Amino acid sequence: MELPKGISVCCQTGAVYVRVVGRGTFQNGQPLRRYALEMIEKGATQCIVDLGPCDGMDSTFLGVLAGIGLRLNKNNGRDRMRVANVSNRNLELLQTLGLDRLFVIAASSPEGPAADLFQRLPDSDIAQFNKPLNKNDTADLMLEAHDNLIQADTRNLAKFKDLTTFLRDRVEKRDPEPTAGKTP
Amino acid sequence: MKEFRIDQETKGAIQVVRLTGSLDMYSFPRLETQLNTNLQQGHHAILLDCKDLDYIGSAGLGALIGFAKKAREKGGDIKLVNVPERIYKIIELLGFTKVLQVHNDEAAALASFTAH
Repeated sequence: MELPKGISVCCQTGAVYVRVVGRGTFQNGQPLRRYALEMIEKGATQCIVDLGPCDGMDSTFLGVLAGIGLRLNKNNGRDRMRVANVSNRNLELLQTLGLDRLFVIAASSPEGPAADLFQRLPDSDIAQFNKPLNKNDTADLMLEAHDNLIQADTRNLAKFKDLTTFLRDRVEKRDPEPTAGKTP
Repeated sequence: MKEFRIDQETKGAIQVVRLTGSLDMYSFPRLETQLNTNLQQGHHAILLDCKDLDYIGSAGLGALIGFAKKAREKGGDIKLVNVPERIYKIIELLGFTKVLQVHNDEAAALASFTAH
């Protein structure tokens, strides 16, 4: 069974399985982050990401993966995050950011759940993405993701200094959003 | 997906860098090299033509801020022109329009370098 474009997930026996079909970007990083953290809260101790059908990833998406890996390793010890079926191009991206030292790079994915047990995360196909993104949520996600990359490998600090400085400044200076139910 | 390509031409004191394809973490080092070469050679006024750009990643945008800052320190700037709507929405969403000038028209963009 062919998986649809976007991010498909499944959680079984303490492991989160993720398949990235198409491109992983800051637009579909948020639903993956939310799902994975919820599963970790519920007791998941490892994550297996299949990048076979993945056309490419931006640094925010890679930072989201790094955040999941850092969280799992902190809770459960080393090597809790595995990425499989990595193309040469994606491997180069992982190596450039030092994530090949945080993740276990597997040649092929272990026997995982059947394809029909996967569910596609809503709003994870960027080609069909019509929902307007929240500026503040996007800035928060992007900042956290790049901080994760820096935490994973301090050499990333030089690469993302301009971006994180800009985003941190934006996050710190932004107007507070109105609180629902609160009268002015 | 179009293969990433960089073409450059000189228009007066301005280097017009035309980008084709996808500007992601994989292709960005090539633009980085090109921009560094321009700055080292004293070309501090750079216009990035994004008409044939399919995609730009967050890291690439972030790095452009750093290059624009370096160019401004030398009296130049890095500006964008002909940005496809889909990419513009991303640039605007991330707040980069506050620190990077974006123009719709090349003639106006070129003129803006001498306007201040």
